[in-house]
Amino acid sequence: MLKVWWAIALNTWRETLRDKLLYSLVGFAVLVIAASLLAGSVSLGQDARVIENFSLTAMLVFLLVITYFIGTQLVFREVERKTIYLVLSKPVSRETFYLGKFFGLCLTILVAGLIMAAMFLIVLGVKTDNVPVAAYFAVGAIILEAWLLTAVSLLFSTFTSPLSSAVYTFGVTLIGHGSATIWLLAEKGSPVVRGLLEGVYYLFPNLEKFNLRNDVVFNLVPDVAQVGWILLYFVGYTAFLLILGVSIFRRHEF
Amino acid sequence: MSSKKQLATGRRQLADIKKLTILWVLAALVISYVSQLNYDAWRRYSPGKISVDYNVYIEPQPPSPMVARALSFGATEALADWYWLTLIQYYGGGTPNGKYRKLAELFDLVSELSPKFATAYETGLVILPGEGFVDEALLLGAKGERNLPEAWQPPYYTGLVYHIYKKDYLAAARAFERAATKPNAPDNAKYFAGIYYAKADSRQTAYLIFKNIAESTTSDFIRERSLKYLGQLDLIIFLEDSAGRYRAKYNRWPANLEELVRVGLIETLPANPLGRPLVIDPQTGEVREKLK
Repeated sequence: MLKVWWAIALNTWRETLRDKLLYSLVGFAVLVIAASLLAGSVSLGQDARVIENFSLTAMLVFLLVITYFIGTQLVFREVERKTIYLVLSKPVSRETFYLGKFFGLCLTILVAGLIMAAMFLIVLGVKTDNVPVAAYFAVGAIILEAWLLTAVSLLFSTFTSPLSSAVYTFGVTLIGHGSATIWLLAEKGSPVVRGLLEGVYYLFPNLEKFNLRNDVVFNLVPDVAQVGWILLYFVGYTAFLLILGVSIFRRHEF
Repeated sequence: MSSKKQLATGRRQLADIKKLTILWVLAALVISYVSQLNYDAWRRYSPGKISVDYNVYIEPQPPSPMVARALSFGATEALADWYWLTLIQYYGGGTPNGKYRKLAELFDLVSELSPKFATAYETGLVILPGEGFVDEALLLGAKGERNLPEAWQPPYYTGLVYHIYKKDYLAAARAFERAATKPNAPDNAKYFAGIYYAKADSRQTAYLIFKNIAESTTSDFIRERSLKYLGQLDLIIFLEDSAGRYRAKYNRWPANLEELVRVGLIETLPANPLGRPLVIDPQTGEVREKLK
């Protein structure tokens, strides 16, 4: 079973490489280096701040772009090219196929994330001689967030077109990062609006939990409890999305 | 029509289309280039034709902090940096309008998006008052004190604003006193608090602060200056006591300090350790530094 998962995951990884994934890494490198070179001259000595904030935000955006454009096509492409019949005719269950795709893309995101993190940390280290510990946690949280959104994009891709699922996943990202605003609006709204918005707040993934980026400039290292809750939330919510996705995929008629 | 003829016609049509496409592209390029040149000329050299200042085109239009926070989708620090860079470019770009109208708004926005960005408060407190935003600078300082309770810089810089731009020495003294209680605050925070309390005539507080500085500072310069301020306060208190005895005897305050020597209440007029002349108010008996 694990061997089959791994084979599908590895195949997904190879497939993403063929999608010219590496271009996004080049884009990221250019952005980080350009930001670091410009930052010193125009930020009144706030180089480290600008490099940290811009690089970490860029890293999240690039990883999410990978999620939106690759994650939403993984299952769809197999169905469209009818290659899914080949796979499912073998002793491979739909669950294994679905989870293999998920872990394959997670592997892609992990590798891309680590390469980007290495670029960011090298530029930061060279430019400022100081890499805050909080940066490692922020990088980890960004990768976790991208993994969770991979599960979201896979879920949408089981019942809608790639473009629609990319748009829906983007919408979930915005709602997830707007959770503080949603809560603020809920507090100010009428009881009905409040109930509705609170429902949205709890139902949609609260991606602000994974936002440790804002703490990096002050090197605020998250405590053990915070890291524990983030991991638990990630595991719980991703498991929920995967189970939902698998159950829809199981009923899917090709 | 034979297939050869059809093919030839097709090729001709294709060639025509290619020529037309090139023409269209060239025309589009010429149109866009000319319009860009004209637009730039209009924007730069025709202030009479437009009712708003040129600066309105180049000055930033920051959103309200609430809107910016909502639209940041969590990337508040990155957005703060974006507006920080915008602010620096704006300030460094000169003031065609005569005033950096959006400067205070930008500092407010940056500090709202990144409440612990210490440099924003320090820079704002230094720059804003000079650009006519004294009250905004004080509000920024107060925000800095709330958001960075451990930092001595916001109250310290606030003290300077109160002194230079408001001439409110009591408020300046209070600000320096707050700064002096923060970790790693420079010794001269207490020293300044003492000076301003003295200016505001809160002598008792000034006396205590200078005494505290003289006992705790590691800087010889600050200790020496503090002891001199203490000496002046001692002298003022001594002279006011003597003036009180003069009043008890003659039922009026002395017209000047030399009168205290003349009637024998004091032997000589002691020298002020700070080297500044002292005078007495004949209406109230209050002794203070002679105003320049």
